[in-house]
Amino acid sequence: MLTKGFRKIEGLFWMVLGTAICFLAWKVRLGTFMQPGPGLIAFVTGLFLFMVGLIMVLSQILSRVHRDDGFDLNLTFRNISWLRLVYTMALLFGYAIFLNTLGYILTTFLLMWGLLYDRKKKNWALGSLTSLIITGGSYLVFEVWLHSQLPQGIFPWR
Amino acid sequence: MSLKFGFIANFPKEFFLGAKGFMNMGYDLFYGFGIAFQPMNLLACFLGVLIGTLVGVLPGIGPAGAMSLLLPVTFGLSPVSAIIMLAGIFYGAMYGGSTTSILVNIPGEAASVVTCIDGYQMALQGRAGPALGIAAFGSFIAGTFGVVGLMFLATPLAELAVKFGPAEYFSLVCLGLSVLIYLTQGSIPHGLAMAGLGVFLSLIGQDVIEGTARFTFGLTGLIDGVGLIPLVMGLFGISEILLNLEKLGERIILRTKIKNLFPSREDWRKSAKPIARGTFLGFFLGILPGGGAVISSFVSYALEKKFSKHPEQFGKGAIEGVAGPESANNSASSGSFIPLFSLGIPANVVMALLLGALMLHGLRPGPLMLTQHPEIFWGTVASMYVGNAMLLALNLPLIGIWVQILKIPYRMLFPLILLFCLIGSYSIGTNVFDIYVMLVFGVLGYFLRKLKYEPAPLVLAFVLGPLLEKSLREALIISDGSMRVFLTRPLSAASLFVALVLLLSAILPSLQKRRKTVISE
Repeated sequence: MLTKGFRKIEGLFWMVLGTAICFLAWKVRLGTFMQPGPGLIAFVTGLFLFMVGLIMVLSQILSRVHRDDGFDLNLTFRNISWLRLVYTMALLFGYAIFLNTLGYILTTFLLMWGLLYDRKKKNWALGSLTSLIITGGSYLVFEVWLHSQLPQGIFPWR
Repeated sequence: MSLKFGFIANFPKEFFLGAKGFMNMGYDLFYGFGIAFQPMNLLACFLGVLIGTLVGVLPGIGPAGAMSLLLPVTFGLSPVSAIIMLAGIFYGAMYGGSTTSILVNIPGEAASVVTCIDGYQMALQGRAGPALGIAAFGSFIAGTFGVVGLMFLATPLAELAVKFGPAEYFSLVCLGLSVLIYLTQGSIPHGLAMAGLGVFLSLIGQDVIEGTARFTFGLTGLIDGVGLIPLVMGLFGISEILLNLEKLGERIILRTKIKNLFPSREDWRKSAKPIARGTFLGFFLGILPGGGAVISSFVSYALEKKFSKHPEQFGKGAIEGVAGPESANNSASSGSFIPLFSLGIPANVVMALLLGALMLHGLRPGPLMLTQHPEIFWGTVASMYVGNAMLLALNLPLIGIWVQILKIPYRMLFPLILLFCLIGSYSIGTNVFDIYVMLVFGVLGYFLRKLKYEPAPLVLAFVLGPLLEKSLREALIISDGSMRVFLTRPLSAASLFVALVLLLSAILPSLQKRRKTVISE
């Protein structure tokens, strides 16, 4: 029942998104069939998404039996290490935030250290050394050899 | 070799494109070899197939992710070297993917999923050597024949495509998206929603005809639109890593001695027909918009099981179950170049990336590319012959090294992949905004995949969106706003009809069962 309810909400989501796209498209000008404006295709896409959402909702309301499509909401999100996922994504967003300010070398070192740090073994030295090697190696490849123009930040070099 | 053929590339183009022009395929191929054997292009080819094999061997990063990662690296190369290298990654991954499927029971990339079934069983029975051997030889044979097919079909198709107008292009794009949605695993509404979202995302940024900015929400980073590379890296690279991070476990690598890499006479006898069938089938499924290596390998497996006198052996270590699919996925990878080079329409996500790469190098794939930039097409075709030979040499003697690479723990590997993704997305426009785009699509991709939404229709629709919009608007302007233009032109009408039939057949209950049978098989 939980999965069926979720599939209805999912359909509603696409209907709302479709409506929002139609509104945005209407704002940028639809034009006419003879002179189509920049919003015409987006408007059609919005309508299309609305229809898809409607089909999803109606198919859930009208069908008496639950169709097994191999998806179970309970199983899908069971036994997931959310902490690890959130921690990794936080490190990546942090990397994007501080890259220009701190520069490539320092930000990359901190990111690698954070990703390689083994919470079970708590081996700081090995993590630091590996991070240093990866940072140095990637700097050599991308900045020195491939001239990727990585951000300089607080260091006098890039 | 490079000294012997290198001088050919310096000959004036007219020497090769004389009175009979491009019809003389022999000269064109000779011209292509002249380009492929230039030292820089040979190196690009070697690096491409080497990285491709590595990508194929390592689970967690597919050819699409690797190509988007390495795209910024190719900026310093000439367009032909860049395309040779990126193409090498693609067909190299098809070769490498079989190694992990056979030895670890984990497919290195999606097209090798089916190889796990019988390949791993063969390895358990102590026949890892013949399984790896037949996968490599089958891939080589199919890959080479696929290139021959590409050579013969792309030129006439491009000549035909010159006559296509906006209405035909619009209908072909609709057909491509419909085929992909039809063949995508999972529900049709999910595929349709992904395609719709992909088209909308492609519309963000400057309007292709009037040049006005739209749907940017005041973000200057979106004026040029959402970048293809950050989007692909997010949807395929970052989301894949997040899925793997959910449950970190050590891989179990089969501790077996790999011997007899050269299949026996009996193995060859059993595999000859599956290789031939896989080559033929894979090539034509590869051409199909929305088709490709993954689908062809599954269809080939189902076909071999049907043709076999002992279908009960499938799943228990039948060599035909390795030979057919491995040949099919390699042949399909060659076939999928045809719509890209001759029509400018990518058949799958990897081809969409190649299209992006060509455009970043200032080239527009399509029917005119073969006449305006023959060095790209013939250089790539010739390099594929060379690359296939390189792959055979790389895969068989170096299997021991690939197995060692598999032993690198994932907790050591994923930070490196993440770093490459970050540098790759930053380097395209030296812009942090692209990193944010990649991360947002990474999170989105993770949840989409958890909720059984396939990201492939989204990416293909994203790439085809601008062509869809441009051709629809141009067709409407030319026809004074009449929709009949799509139905009065035969090819356009036929494409739309097939697209409609495919979508209806997937929705109508009586035909739904048939589609499910096709996909499950």
